[in-house]
Amino acid sequence: MSASELVRVTIDGKEVHIAKGTGLVESALHAGIEIPVFCYEPRLGAPIGACRMCLVEIEGMPKLQAACTLTAQDGMVVKTARTSAQAAEGQNATLEFILVNHPLDCPVCDKGGECPLQDLTFRYGPGKTRMNFEKTTFEKPIPISPTISLDRERCILCYRCTRFSESVSEDGQLVAKNRGAMSVISTFEDEPYTGAFTGNVTELCPVGALLPTQYRFEARPWEIQSVPTVCGMCAVGCNTWVDLREGKAKRVRSRNHFEIDEGWLCDKGRFAFTHLRAPDRIVDPIQRVRRRGFEPVSWDAAIDAAEEMLRAARERVVVALSGSETVEQAYALAKLVRVGLDSHEAVLPEEVSGALDAYRAPLSSIGDAQVIGVLGDVPLEESAPIVDLWVRKARRNGARIVDSEDNLKGADVLIWSGPGGRGGVRVAQLAEQLGVSAAFYVPATPNGRGIADAWSAASDAEPGDEHSIGVLIVSGDEAAGNPNVRGLAERAEHVIVSSMFHGLAAGWADLVLPGTSYLERDGTYVNLEGRLQRLRRTATPPCPDELEWISRLAARFDIELAPYPSSVFAEVSKRCYGGLSFGEVGERAALRTYDAAPAHVDPPALPEPKTAEGGLHLVCYKPLFSGPAVERVTELQFQRPRAEVELSAVDAERHGVKTGDEVTLTGGGASVTLRAQVNRKLRAGVARVPDEFAGDVRGAVELSKAEVTA
Amino acid sequence: MADTVVEVAEQPALVLRGYDGTPLVDLDTYRSVGGYAQLERARAMSPQEVTQQIIDSNLRGRGGAFFPTGRKASFIPTPDKVSKPIYITVNADESEPGTFKDREIMLKVPHRLLEGCLIAAHAIQSKHVFIYIRGEYTEEYEVLSKALAEARKAKLLGNVKVTIHRGAGAYICGEETALLESLEGKRGQPRSKPPFPAIQGLYASPTLINNVESITNMPIVLEVGPQEYAQIGAPPDSTGTRLFCLSGNVARPGVYEAPHGITTRHLIYDIGGGIPNGRELKAVMIGGSSFPVMTPNELDTKLDANSLGQHGLFIGSGVVCAIDDRTCIVQFALRVAQFYMHESCGKCTPCRVGTRWLVQILRAVEDGTASENDLEVLLDVCDRIIGKCLCVLGDSAAMPVASCVTKFRDEFRAHLAHGGCPFGADSSLANLFAPTDQHAHTTVPQELSVERV
Amino acid sequence: MIEEIQKLAKEYPSSKSAVLPALRYAQEQHGGWLPREAFEEVGEALDLTPAYCMSVASFYDMFQLERTGEHTVEVCTNVCCGLLGAQAVLEAFERELGVHAGETTADGAITLRAVECLGGCSTPTIVAVDHRYRQSVTPADVPAIVEQLRG
Ligand SMILES: Cc1cc2nc3c(=O)[nH]c(=O)nc-3n(C[C@H](O)[C@H](O)[C@H](O)COP(=O)(O)O)c2cc1C
Ligand code: SF4
Ligand code: FES
Repeated sequence: MSASELVRVTIDGKEVHIAKGTGLVESALHAGIEIPVFCYEPRLGAPIGACRMCLVEIEGMPKLQAACTLTAQDGMVVKTARTSAQAAEGQNATLEFILVNHPLDCPVCDKGGECPLQDLTFRYGPGKTRMNFEKTTFEKPIPISPTISLDRERCILCYRCTRFSESVSEDGQLVAKNRGAMSVISTFEDEPYTGAFTGNVTELCPVGALLPTQYRFEARPWEIQSVPTVCGMCAVGCNTWVDLREGKAKRVRSRNHFEIDEGWLCDKGRFAFTHLRAPDRIVDPIQRVRRRGFEPVSWDAAIDAAEEMLRAARERVVVALSGSETVEQAYALAKLVRVGLDSHEAVLPEEVSGALDAYRAPLSSIGDAQVIGVLGDVPLEESAPIVDLWVRKARRNGARIVDSEDNLKGADVLIWSGPGGRGGVRVAQLAEQLGVSAAFYVPATPNGRGIADAWSAASDAEPGDEHSIGVLIVSGDEAAGNPNVRGLAERAEHVIVSSMFHGLAAGWADLVLPGTSYLERDGTYVNLEGRLQRLRRTATPPCPDELEWISRLAARFDIELAPYPSSVFAEVSKRCYGGLSFGEVGERAALRTYDAAPAHVDPPALPEPKTAEGGLHLVCYKPLFSGPAVERVTELQFQRPRAEVELSAVDAERHGVKTGDEVTLTGGGASVTLRAQVNRKLRAGVARVPDEFAGDVRGAVELSKAEVTA
Repeated sequence: MADTVVEVAEQPALVLRGYDGTPLVDLDTYRSVGGYAQLERARAMSPQEVTQQIIDSNLRGRGGAFFPTGRKASFIPTPDKVSKPIYITVNADESEPGTFKDREIMLKVPHRLLEGCLIAAHAIQSKHVFIYIRGEYTEEYEVLSKALAEARKAKLLGNVKVTIHRGAGAYICGEETALLESLEGKRGQPRSKPPFPAIQGLYASPTLINNVESITNMPIVLEVGPQEYAQIGAPPDSTGTRLFCLSGNVARPGVYEAPHGITTRHLIYDIGGGIPNGRELKAVMIGGSSFPVMTPNELDTKLDANSLGQHGLFIGSGVVCAIDDRTCIVQFALRVAQFYMHESCGKCTPCRVGTRWLVQILRAVEDGTASENDLEVLLDVCDRIIGKCLCVLGDSAAMPVASCVTKFRDEFRAHLAHGGCPFGADSSLANLFAPTDQHAHTTVPQELSVERV
Repeated sequence: MIEEIQKLAKEYPSSKSAVLPALRYAQEQHGGWLPREAFEEVGEALDLTPAYCMSVASFYDMFQLERTGEHTVEVCTNVCCGLLGAQAVLEAFERELGVHAGETTADGAITLRAVECLGGCSTPTIVAVDHRYRQSVTPADVPAIVEQLRG
């Protein structure tokens, strides 16, 4: 809040001096007084004064007022229910009215025990009900999507969910239907509530009306242990609570970090956690045995086998990283192969550049921007959903959003999402030209930055020149799924893969070690702001984590490597994070800058893909609801991307293609046939396709209408 | 199928000036009685002068709230003080039960309404006037549109744009902020005030909202002169005339223009010809169904805000609906409550829940299944609604119901004692069906289709 | 359809304001009610989601979210008409049409509805036949009105 004049407000006799215009509810809190609310939620925009729970008496006003709709004015005298009989009566009235139609099924309600309505009733509510007539009844519970169920009888119509849908995620899908006593929350016809952010309504709902289906009858609040950690699904790193019961993750909730996520969380981060329990999860090491395929082996046998392969491959070990490893894991691997085996070649998940460090800023700064340049060809909602919410917020506050490099004049924030950004070099150059204060580059992987830090921290030696590959170590499922890595595997004498799921590396690995999920690891991540954040072990993994076997292996090569994240971090920190200690990283991490951090070797510019006049350039991207984890969550299948190619209106026009037409893309010696989707917002010359549907088509592509085979 | 009686019952004729039974619908006939002369005069004056004249006349809102019209206009910032456009919205949503006067204005003197709009536009320097007309009014819409087309053709609008916007069936859209929401293309749910429409109304711009009759009075104020106007009726507060909406059990119902201050008795018995079929008057729904009912002993109360106020009654939108002694007052209260339950917008808790609860209790009283205690709960629920809602629709349900219980407690008790309605089927409101029981579009989605799996 | 709606929108400073007129027009085009497509069309024309259009429509009594008859008969049963026999008129229609208030005749010809005060209180009972008012309607007039609609 900008430094504004202080005003004096008296609440229940207590004087508070507070910035003019502060909400009365906040002002009261400031005086240590709670004004109960239901519909009020400042993050949803202007207050609506609907539920009437916050009624207070204001000196000089004839009627009771909804405190949530008023702001602090100088000399204001407020009496809450604690000191005003009238206000107390108003509050009791509201509570009685709310309970008139609320089913008292608390014992079987998942909200029970953490329910604002339950709590306020407990504190202020009437002992017994005077309502001896039929309550309003509705069909219940009904799924508004496979992930969320709605109980219309429990709904108290505070309109939080619909306001979220209308003015935060701006998807306009969750709405109020009918009028008066018949009002209900609804989606359109029988369509599911779809989008990146739907799950937030389950946290906004102050009663048990909107609940996550995954959590149905799974736990009671008092059985839960909530672990603070950060989401490892994309480069934003939203802060989260993971609720555990008996060591099992039952639910993921937002843990408001006002600089990063403002308390919002995307559905991938919220609902994809059940991949932990995927049936094809690898729990023991498996080794290829001639003719008989894979066989489970003991850890000792596995470590022996790995040691053997690595000894033979001294100086000829290559590591392929996923970008989802913790800094510690990546550093451990780096130390093992670089210091232990004198091999310095890695396939980093993506280009990373330190060029942006000069423009470091919290994501929240986007919200206050006037002109925002959003560049690159991958929609923010897919690559870093929360960033998209910040941009929407800025737009609502009157900001102008430009998506072309040609009219960036006056921009005060730049964001790059998609290929061609060269790890931030490109946007850093633009930032310098325009003199903007904040610039962001969205990496394709959750911890790409941290991994680059870790790799460079382990050694200064340069990779040698071309040589045969003795052993290829493939770390993680994303790397295992990457076609380029598979290419390398064919050249390698031996392949060691660490992976969570069967099948990914089955064809070509010699040894597969069970991997863990970000929800099972302790360590640190670096998000797209360059913010170092603390990851905590939530669920107990079904196998020892990576750090453990890496350090065991390291020992075989006389490398000192403790299996403890804290001590591994200490080593990296000395080089990269100004000696910050593991403990200091913090629950709600601050955005720090570190002097004397080694600049990563900026990789050379990739030649900008050339496309003939009127030609199309293929942009492949990872849609939000894709990847090994999401693929294993049944409830999220309805959100998966479709086999479509997005085309700009111009290109669709040029090729005479309409939405729904089957078109064939040919390029890089391969071709795919997909449904066309015309997208007005897409720039001309680009054909956008989800990775998983692009096959091996790459680069410049030819587009032709597919033959309609009868 | 008789037509509505529309008459000047007592001089002076203001709103109906020049109307002698033949509607002044086309421009020439309206001009022949001096139509649009005042617009010309107004445009010759400065906006402030025009506003001042309205203030001096002490014309007050005819929509229900009786707020001084000139003062409201003076709250609107002048164009040099705001970057946003300034709007006028005329409230022609007329849906208050018992009200049917704005309709007759639009049918009989549509040009006077338009002239008023243009004068008001000049007074607050607005370039766009919206007339929000009740959706069910088809003929009224056609007549008004035709008049507007004529006025446009005759270049009377000047640089002012006039848009007639049709509602779609929601009483609450008569509430000014709900009306604005509806006009912005949303569900018609009231906004919490402040900010007030004069500062942040339509599209968050300064907006003047007035009832049809209020606006139609503006040319008259200029014509007879503000001082003169301020003497008519029951000065100082209830100046000018009213189009009283006389209905119910009277011999000659209709719309009667008469000065503020005539007595209710005079209106019902002398002008309206009294209660037919040798019946006795039992109660009067006065001001509209949103207010406490009047009892026969209050019949000599003058029809002006202050006189009525002394009895806790309201002049509202000029409704006077006579209820004779065949009528069961519980049935009356029930039917009124059902109306508000049906029309509650559903935004705020006390109204959404309370109106339904009122209906349930009243139904039980009528059926004789209620207890003495239920009557206390009934009054308590009214209490818990009044003054606690976001807009006053809630109060509008509670006030009449509460007044029925307190003023006719014996009759309510009789229901309890008698184990049902003492009137049986003889009451004129017996088993009157209400739209609430029709459950308009309440379908809930069937099984969710997730075709994308 | 889309063009027509966008024409309506020109009258307003913000196209969203055209939702009510647009829905009214769509309802006329779709035979007196608003099927799924109607919301999709209005939504596309005004750049709103179908859900939003449905939400708005469901708030107003004059928009029908379920199929209705070719003709509608709406009887005011509010107090003023009620005092002078509205219930008798409604029942006369129920008998004549063989449906209850809120229902549509089996042949899909006529929908009967009870409605709140239509603003014609001095000439009870007010009956809106295809949205045009008939004043002072008595049970005796009912057969003729139905005849007229059927004929
Ligand atoms: C529930 C409710 C319904 C209303 N209905 C109408 C109406 O139909 N017509 C009207 O002019 N005013 C109506 N009003 C009053 C308006 O809110 C507003 O006060 C009025 O239009 C202002 O115009 P005036 O000052 O000229 O009376 C209603 C108010 C409420 C609370
Ligand atoms: S009082 Fe009734 S109509 Fe007014 S806002 Fe509340 S719910 Fe809506
Ligand atoms: S919290 Fe103020 S009205 Fe709901």
